[in-house]
Amino acid sequence: MSAASRADGAGAVSAASRADGAGAGAVLETEGLTVRFGGVVAVDEVSLDCRSGDLTGLIGPNGAGKTTLIDAVTGFLPGNTAGRVRFRGRDLTRMAPHRVAWAGLTRTWQSLELFDDISVRSNLDVASRRLTPLGAVRDYLRGSADASSVDQVLELLGLADVADRQPRELSQGRRKLVGVGRALVAGAALVMLDEPAAGLDRAETVWLGDRLRSLVEAGYDMLLVDHDMSLVLRVCDRIHVLELGSLIATGTPAEIRDDPTVVAAYLGSHGSSR
Amino acid sequence: MGPYLQQILLSSGAGAIFAALAIGLVLTYRSSGLINFAHGAIATYVAYTYTSLQSSGDLPVPPLPNPLAPVEGVFGVEILDFPDFVDLGDGWNKWPALAGALAVAALLGLAFHFLVFRALRYQPPLTKVVASIGLMLALQSAVVIRFGGSRPPPIEPLLPPSVRSSTVDVLGTIVPWDRFVLLAVTLGLTAGLWALFRWTRFGLHTRAAAENERYATLMGISADRQAALSWMLAAVLAGFVGILVAPTTSLTPFNFTLFIVPALGAALLARFTSFWVAAVGAVGLAMAQNVLLYAEIDHGWFPDLNLDAVLPFAVIVVAMMARGQVLPPRGAVETGRLPQAFPSPWRPSLALTWVALAAAVVIWGPFDYRAGVTNSMIGAILALSLVVVTGYVGQISLAQLAFTGVAAAGLASFGADAGIPFPLAPLLAALAATAFGLLLALPALRVRGASLAIATLASALAIDELLFRGDGWFRIEGNPNRSFDDPSMFGVEFGPTSSFPINGDEIPTPAFGLFVLVVLVLACGAVIRLRQSRLGEQMLAVRANERAAAAAGVNVAGVKLAAFGIAAFLAGIAGALNGYKLGSIKIDSFSVLANLSILAFAYLGGISTVTGALYAGTLFASGIGVVLGEELIELGRYETYVAGVALIVTAVVNPQGIDGFDRQQRERVKRWLRRRRARRAARLTAASAAAGAQGPGP
Repeated sequence: MSAASRADGAGAVSAASRADGAGAGAVLETEGLTVRFGGVVAVDEVSLDCRSGDLTGLIGPNGAGKTTLIDAVTGFLPGNTAGRVRFRGRDLTRMAPHRVAWAGLTRTWQSLELFDDISVRSNLDVASRRLTPLGAVRDYLRGSADASSVDQVLELLGLADVADRQPRELSQGRRKLVGVGRALVAGAALVMLDEPAAGLDRAETVWLGDRLRSLVEAGYDMLLVDHDMSLVLRVCDRIHVLELGSLIATGTPAEIRDDPTVVAAYLGSHGSSR
Repeated sequence: MGPYLQQILLSSGAGAIFAALAIGLVLTYRSSGLINFAHGAIATYVAYTYTSLQSSGDLPVPPLPNPLAPVEGVFGVEILDFPDFVDLGDGWNKWPALAGALAVAALLGLAFHFLVFRALRYQPPLTKVVASIGLMLALQSAVVIRFGGSRPPPIEPLLPPSVRSSTVDVLGTIVPWDRFVLLAVTLGLTAGLWALFRWTRFGLHTRAAAENERYATLMGISADRQAALSWMLAAVLAGFVGILVAPTTSLTPFNFTLFIVPALGAALLARFTSFWVAAVGAVGLAMAQNVLLYAEIDHGWFPDLNLDAVLPFAVIVVAMMARGQVLPPRGAVETGRLPQAFPSPWRPSLALTWVALAAAVVIWGPFDYRAGVTNSMIGAILALSLVVVTGYVGQISLAQLAFTGVAAAGLASFGADAGIPFPLAPLLAALAATAFGLLLALPALRVRGASLAIATLASALAIDELLFRGDGWFRIEGNPNRSFDDPSMFGVEFGPTSSFPINGDEIPTPAFGLFVLVVLVLACGAVIRLRQSRLGEQMLAVRANERAAAAAGVNVAGVKLAAFGIAAFLAGIAGALNGYKLGSIKIDSFSVLANLSILAFAYLGGISTVTGALYAGTLFASGIGVVLGEELIELGRYETYVAGVALIVTAVVNPQGIDGFDRQQRERVKRWLRRRRARRAARLTAASAAAGAQGPGP
């Protein structure tokens, strides 16, 4: 319990320090983002933002539309998406996924989706530079240039010792880091992490949270999607809450913890009566 | 109008067999998630079994491997002799013969499921496609081996003479009555299958298993049993309709086997889901084909481009373009892996040894060895093209051989007709092939896996029909004298007839062999380099996971286009070399079945490594492996059959192909050596420790 309250305190402090810079520009903004599958509205008019220098959280119960929102923002649901996505002043609406990545918005997957039959280093290499047709030819003729950004990220995530192994040979926790690394190398300005804590135990989750925090300190902006309340409350600066496709709350961890609608959404009537 | 109506009604024989195959394809897909390219071949085999039983009471036995063959070959004796046919009395009555043939069909279905496709349940689509192609080649060539390939056999019609001889007047058009019977049977079978799926436990269970295999299994449904039953049912259906229509639709091993293409078109229209759409689509396709065929004959202005044969391709492409990923996904887990794309480390000594060996054989070897090695080197370049597109990017292409045809024809146009000099003409020809490759890549941007295999198979057929036959753009048929000069540079000729100091009077002369060797080395180097480049890395990423690759900033469409383009270029180079070798173009070498065996051999060699492509080269028709095989075991007419069976075995047992098997063995030997060395070292240290312990003793 004491660990939790200490963590909460830390969250509150960092949130407070950010609150002064509320005017700091939003890296990512969605405006009335809506995703429809036939008659089902999976994401309903969601307008949210991620600010520069923040670890932003996006939480919500299962089926709230969190992953769908990431899919829509990163260009995987062009036929189902309405509304606008703005990223660092650029309009990403209905841009192809690889162009979204080129623009500096990358993501990880809950189901990892690693390139299982190439080495960890190659997993990162693939993402580390955009390849134009001319660039491909030049690279083919002259050989690959520097891999320093890849090495840096491998070092940062503690993956350097397994760089030449295949992802399938690693533990689940490290496989997740490979996914995170792949999202980081491309010169990403914002990384969207889809349930990175799923399948991790308590200790691993705490460890992961610290890693994410240190990445933010290192200058990466992040959107952490999870339904693990305690993780998100502990490490995030600002939190958006989705329920049934709609945004029901936005605020600092402290505000979110005390928000009655959020408590109701998460715990149902028992929660609100508690 | 009259003749057209007649054509429409006369098509019902073809319509019936297309429909039977199409609903069989839907059935096996729904029950086992597998697209069976061999379905037409099953119908062929069963129909031939019927004719054999009916006419002479002989039950054909597929060629069985004779383990003693090498011994027999070397010593010229016959120790073991499997029968070609089992004699079951004189010619049977047609009904018992039908029953016997259908029993064979059911057994085939059962055997294929349990021996082949059950083992491949969780494998990636490539492995499944390859296995069913192996089956198709094996069955088709088994029929050719047993019955000969060209002439339709005499076949006793199932329908009584009264039905066959009577005609009906439809709006002034005389149509044989049996055509309506065929149509009715087709629709009846479809209705039966539909009802079976709709209302019986069998149908319910199969649908459940298709929806989510894991949950269905938890509910106590054996997806496996459902699939086995479906396989039997599909084989019996195909066999029955095959026998029924054989008298009116010329039954040859090639025709019947290739009915799979229109059937695939119809099944795609039905999204491999609806029996009714598949059947009606198939019948409609047959009708449209007949109308087109008649129009080509009837009207002078109508181009003789074999449009009827191209129609299934058009249907397939339209179905795919309109619907994107057409195959409904199944709730089955895919745990199998694609063959691993090992990078090829540069080992100069090994490479030089092989180059020297090949050069030596090409210069001093006896005639058939020289020709064999030259053919193998050309084949290896072709296999390299599949390494790029299928091995590295995971896109199944069944049209590579068609590109070699385009390049050969291009060589004739650019080199012989336009008089463009040597290095330019074949390069232009290969670029023409590249253009077709990029065209073919368009469906690959929408679909993948087995759907893409269907699209490329249909394109190969369309290229063959449109370009090489009839009034086709290259007009090869009826124009056999398009020949070209030997290639030469700086006054040195290096064609098959060019002079050479050693063995210069025998064709192909060493000059050509050495030329091909140089091109092969360049091609291998280029592909090895590709594997190490960023583009190669992105190709492997696309193969592993398209979605993730896109999210990591890989332009998936661009990578696929590049792969198809490069592959078609390599195939084009192989085609140009082949053109030089032959000195003219032959059309049969680009046929659809040959296209299939190309993928088969490439897979057999090892689809994802450069070394695998070299192995594949030795296996190709008239390659060095075949020359040796001929010497040792009289392979001869069994070549395709052996290739088909070997392909199935490879897909089931060792998807890495020969190259992967080879690597495994080498790894095993290395590990054994390491262990031995470690043991010896341990013994030595133990001994010295013991000695040391004794030494400073008392």
